[in-house]
Amino acid sequence: MNEPNPAVITTVPTPAVIEEIRPEIEDVRTCYFRFEDPEIEKSFAVRSGQFVMCTVFGAGEFAVSLPWSPEGDRRHLSVRAVGKVTGALARLAPGDKIGIRGPFGNGFPFEAIKGKNIIYVAGGIGIIPLRSSIVHVLLHRPEFGRLILLYGARAPQDLMYRDKIEEWRRTEGFETHITIDRPRPGWTGETGFVHTLIEKAKVPVENTVAFVCGPPIMFNAVIKELSARGLRDDCIISTLERHMKCGIGKCQHCAIGRTLVCTDGPVFTYKQIKTLGEQI
Amino acid sequence: MYILPKADVPRLLDAIAARYELFGPVVDPISGDTLFDRASAPSAVRLDAPIPVNTPKFSVFPHFERILTYRYDRASKALDIRREDLVRPKALVGVRSCDLTGLLCFDRFFLGQEFVDEVYRDHRRKMLIVANTCVRPFAQCFCVCTDSGPAAVEGFDVNLTDLGEAFLFETGSDKGRGLASELGLAPAGEHAARDRAAVVNRSIGLFDGQAVENKAWISRAVNRLTTGFVKPETWEYIGQQCFECGACSFVCPSCSCFNVQDAATQAGPTDRLRTWDSCSFEGYSRMAGEHNPRRPIEDRRNKRFFCKLSYSQSKKYLRPGCVGCGRCARVCPGDIGLPNVVTAIRREITEPKP
Amino acid sequence: MSYHSGVCNFCGTGCGHLLMVENGTVRGVFPSPGHPVSRGRLCVRGWHIHELLATEERLARPLRRGPNGFESVSWDEALEGAAAELRRFRPDEIGVWASPRASNEDVFTAVRLARAVLRTPHIDLLSDAWYSSTAEVLREGTGWPGSLGTLADVRAADFLFVVGTDLTRQNPIVASELHFAAKAGADLVTLSSRTTQMARLSRTHLRPAPGAKKAVLAAMLKLLLDEGLADPDFAAGRIEGTEAVRLSLRDVDLAGLEKAAGLTADGLRDLVRRLAKAERAMAFFSSGTTGLGRDTVALIYNLFLAAGKIGRPGCGLVPVVGISNLAGANDMGAAPGRLPGWRRLPDPAAEAAVRSAWGEAAAVTPGRRIDDLLRDPAKPLRALVVMDHDEEINLHAEALKKLDFVLYLGAYDNPFIEFAHVVLPAATYAETDGTYTNTERRIQLVRRKTEPRFEARPAWRILTGLAVRLGASWGYDSPEAVFADIARAVPMYAGADYARLEAGVGGLAWPVDAAHPRGTARYERSAADPAPRAVPLREPLAGTAPAAADYPFRLMAGKSYFYWHQNNIMKRTFIPLREYNALLLLYPQGLVDVHPDDAARLGLRDKRPVRVVSAAGTMTVQARVTSDVLPGMVYAPYFIGPMIEGFLRPEAGAVERGEDAVIPVRLEKV
Repeated sequence: MNEPNPAVITTVPTPAVIEEIRPEIEDVRTCYFRFEDPEIEKSFAVRSGQFVMCTVFGAGEFAVSLPWSPEGDRRHLSVRAVGKVTGALARLAPGDKIGIRGPFGNGFPFEAIKGKNIIYVAGGIGIIPLRSSIVHVLLHRPEFGRLILLYGARAPQDLMYRDKIEEWRRTEGFETHITIDRPRPGWTGETGFVHTLIEKAKVPVENTVAFVCGPPIMFNAVIKELSARGLRDDCIISTLERHMKCGIGKCQHCAIGRTLVCTDGPVFTYKQIKTLGEQI
Repeated sequence: MYILPKADVPRLLDAIAARYELFGPVVDPISGDTLFDRASAPSAVRLDAPIPVNTPKFSVFPHFERILTYRYDRASKALDIRREDLVRPKALVGVRSCDLTGLLCFDRFFLGQEFVDEVYRDHRRKMLIVANTCVRPFAQCFCVCTDSGPAAVEGFDVNLTDLGEAFLFETGSDKGRGLASELGLAPAGEHAARDRAAVVNRSIGLFDGQAVENKAWISRAVNRLTTGFVKPETWEYIGQQCFECGACSFVCPSCSCFNVQDAATQAGPTDRLRTWDSCSFEGYSRMAGEHNPRRPIEDRRNKRFFCKLSYSQSKKYLRPGCVGCGRCARVCPGDIGLPNVVTAIRREITEPKP
Repeated sequence: MSYHSGVCNFCGTGCGHLLMVENGTVRGVFPSPGHPVSRGRLCVRGWHIHELLATEERLARPLRRGPNGFESVSWDEALEGAAAELRRFRPDEIGVWASPRASNEDVFTAVRLARAVLRTPHIDLLSDAWYSSTAEVLREGTGWPGSLGTLADVRAADFLFVVGTDLTRQNPIVASELHFAAKAGADLVTLSSRTTQMARLSRTHLRPAPGAKKAVLAAMLKLLLDEGLADPDFAAGRIEGTEAVRLSLRDVDLAGLEKAAGLTADGLRDLVRRLAKAERAMAFFSSGTTGLGRDTVALIYNLFLAAGKIGRPGCGLVPVVGISNLAGANDMGAAPGRLPGWRRLPDPAAEAAVRSAWGEAAAVTPGRRIDDLLRDPAKPLRALVVMDHDEEINLHAEALKKLDFVLYLGAYDNPFIEFAHVVLPAATYAETDGTYTNTERRIQLVRRKTEPRFEARPAWRILTGLAVRLGASWGYDSPEAVFADIARAVPMYAGADYARLEAGVGGLAWPVDAAHPRGTARYERSAADPAPRAVPLREPLAGTAPAAADYPFRLMAGKSYFYWHQNNIMKRTFIPLREYNALLLLYPQGLVDVHPDDAARLGLRDKRPVRVVSAAGTMTVQARVTSDVLPGMVYAPYFIGPMIEGFLRPEAGAVERGEDAVIPVRLEKV
């Protein structure tokens, strides 16, 4: 009989302590945490693009994309309080414990995209899973071509990771374009939906991949714009979110047709997404 | 192969019960229903009872199970998490070949993929399986169309076949052979294989008048489902009759979708409960933030039949997910058990509407 | 064994199930193929009843309200305290509200506590808007206060007529029987303004404008008579009451109906021909909180009587009950105007019998409905004993707060305890023996599967203990002993006892008496029986009034699949609760259904807010745009908090008219 893969925590949530909580935007907080067991703290290794199952004790468990990069980054989760469990997480304080299972999922295909231009297109909290990729790529900057971030939110107060974005803005060789939906007093940057930045930023198409993440309306508008410019479907990468109960391909809640987001994904190319046979 | 005289069946059951938690077909005294159930005493197991109404899957995949219990005290930050203690090894006695096939699907699915499901593995560990060849199918049975009966060919420690005066006692593992020698069973004579074949053939013969549509059309249905050629109108026709009760999933030997829920207890700890679920439910794939990628009921039905019959799902089980037990047809309030779905697909092929 | 056979307690169908018990708690459920009603099927609720039975959200121990909120007390203290409180009031200041989910034994002890010990006639049943009046119609016609048919006849029927509510949601296994019959060739007809799943599964869907159901039924009856299709006795006026019914039909306006209800006279003519021709015809209609008005039921009855389908083999009218023991609780006499066994007051013989069994001081006068009393400032109720109430109590929150003493008795945590002074934890149906009477009069015995959890006690035992402390001595030491008294008090149950009920799976249908020792499946008229009578209407048939200019839409209030029992029970489950929430995720502010044409005209979009305004109330909800409703119609499948506050409470009177209720509203884009 098969034995479980010891590198991944599959069944029993592993205790972790919240070290710090930072409010990001309305309803979204970032929790920095460390594992209680120093051995696990040392051995817990993730790939950018994976996700974990996070237990809020007394409330339940939810799947969440990793915003942190395996190298040179603090462990944290950025979570929007939308339901019973994420709402309970929002009520925790530093020193409280949470449980972590994982990491699960495939991760971003960095090997395959070496040498290419990278465009990140994020809408709202869609920046969370992309953050990990951006941090990784910046650490390995010479391995990639042009690097562009197009990030849009409803209003200035809806922009995530403002410190990090400030840092990225100042990073040489990283073209950042930030927009909000409508002009607001005090906002001097771009306005309009994020897909309009594609035109403004004069993004390349040759030898280019785009990472796109955000709400369905934004996602569809961005894809339309990128495709119109000739970017191939297999050069568009996204990460899907689904309702999940196990993370290990058993509960089937995240099934899209024959594909399981938890074990086959969560990272897919748009070409794959199109063949999944259900709404995104 | 050995011979187990019927008078020795109690000895077999006693020997098993001494080492295992015994499950088998028992008869409910009030309703007269045969259930595959935990036996209160070895003598409660009835190898001659009709096919159990439920599958043995609950013994490895309980309807409602506590998989963890934890206690977290926010004031002191004390956290205590426990897994359920390892259960006593289980023996499933009198398992029908359809249900055994379902169990093998479970093995491949829960143990044979990228991750091992530890909860399932703990239930399955050290299990003893005694199969029983089906000699009397139900009207809804169609295992002969899904390569899963009426006799088991793999996955058992012992396989019993009723030869009249005695059972043929076929062993499939060291555990089975150990039982034979412990009971001092006599080896079967040279006619045993022929007698067994006769019993199985007689049983297959009973299918002549039933499962007619399935026998003729199930492979075409598999084809159409896999390639996505089933017409939307057919799914709509099926969806319209679906009462969304989930019964087809709950009675299916190979359906394994589950839900996980944390629930506080009055004693203090919180239980993490794992419960049966069904992809026919609207809330099954719902997501926070108003988004449900799979809304209409036809889509959700479609998902389940795809799981039972498509090639791509068969790759996970190394066989079709449907094991032909016919239980979905017996419990469906909408009369859209799998055989009727095959019929609906046959109709769209043979009775095309303009 | 872990599986033990029993009967599902969610709705009035009474399906057979097997509960799996491990280590003293219920951990699973499976349908019982051997059960004569459900034959191996359960609905989504039945498939998850173990979640309700395993829930930890139970009332665990007796509580008494002290200066700092509730405190745990012993059973003795709680019962003594409650008895002392109840002694402070005059009998007619006390009300008892029994539960239609409780067993016959529990309800019977509640009735006896009210009338014989507290000596109040104000004994009533929750959620019983229409069962009483429905059963009274059937009794007036045939002498049977309950279903005239049996579900066992459905599959052999030729003609099946469903009036109103969506049975696939309310009583799915009853609907399943109808569906199987239709697939086998029965003529299934649904009369419903909304396109429900039941309607989709029907051969004919009559779709009148909201509020026109009565007019359509009257037109069918008139056509049956005009076409010479009626039973000769009915046509010749040899049946008592026929003339009065005929007189009411003078008001039938076929032309007007064609215009208002979108139906053709030819279509209806064809339909009554099919009904008349059928050998075996049955009708089904809802009879609980979403039931039909008295005259609507009388019209269905008269239609079937005129068609010669009353008392004939294989025929029957079945008032479908949404709550497990609504029918049985009525049989027990949990009604202010009746004594046990449907004996309507005044009834000198019944009064004397009750006095001789329960003592001379027993209250045998007619009482008043509890919700009437709560609404009436001149008749102040001061104390209330409540069993197992759901949250519809929101409607009476203000009046309840003013009560001096409320005793709440129930199994699950419930918002009602906010109003209670003493809370007593009751056992679930799986924790004690008890009988339940289903929608077709089938009395079924359900045996205890586990010990009561925590400190809970069976309701019959709690009420008996309370009676003892109030000076009575009933001698009930088991539900079986209570049932023996039921058999003495309720003539239809006279020949039943636990041994007989348990002799076969599925129990016995009343009347069970000396003449029918094995029960009676259906009302069948033999030469010796008195002939059935026609049931005259009480109110003139009004035409469908044209919609008022200010309020051009007609709003119907309903119940959706998962918002069942006001959701208090569903809230204790996982999967059914999730399914209920699935719709609320899409429509978090609550919803009303609006036809696409109306939506386009008013600029309403799916999921966008819409204000619904009636003469009395206002609510802002989300629109669900669907052609399941007719143009000019608005359907509210259920009501959530703010909808109740702003709209339902002011319109409570209208909503209590059940399925027939139509509230004129206008819609405003927000």
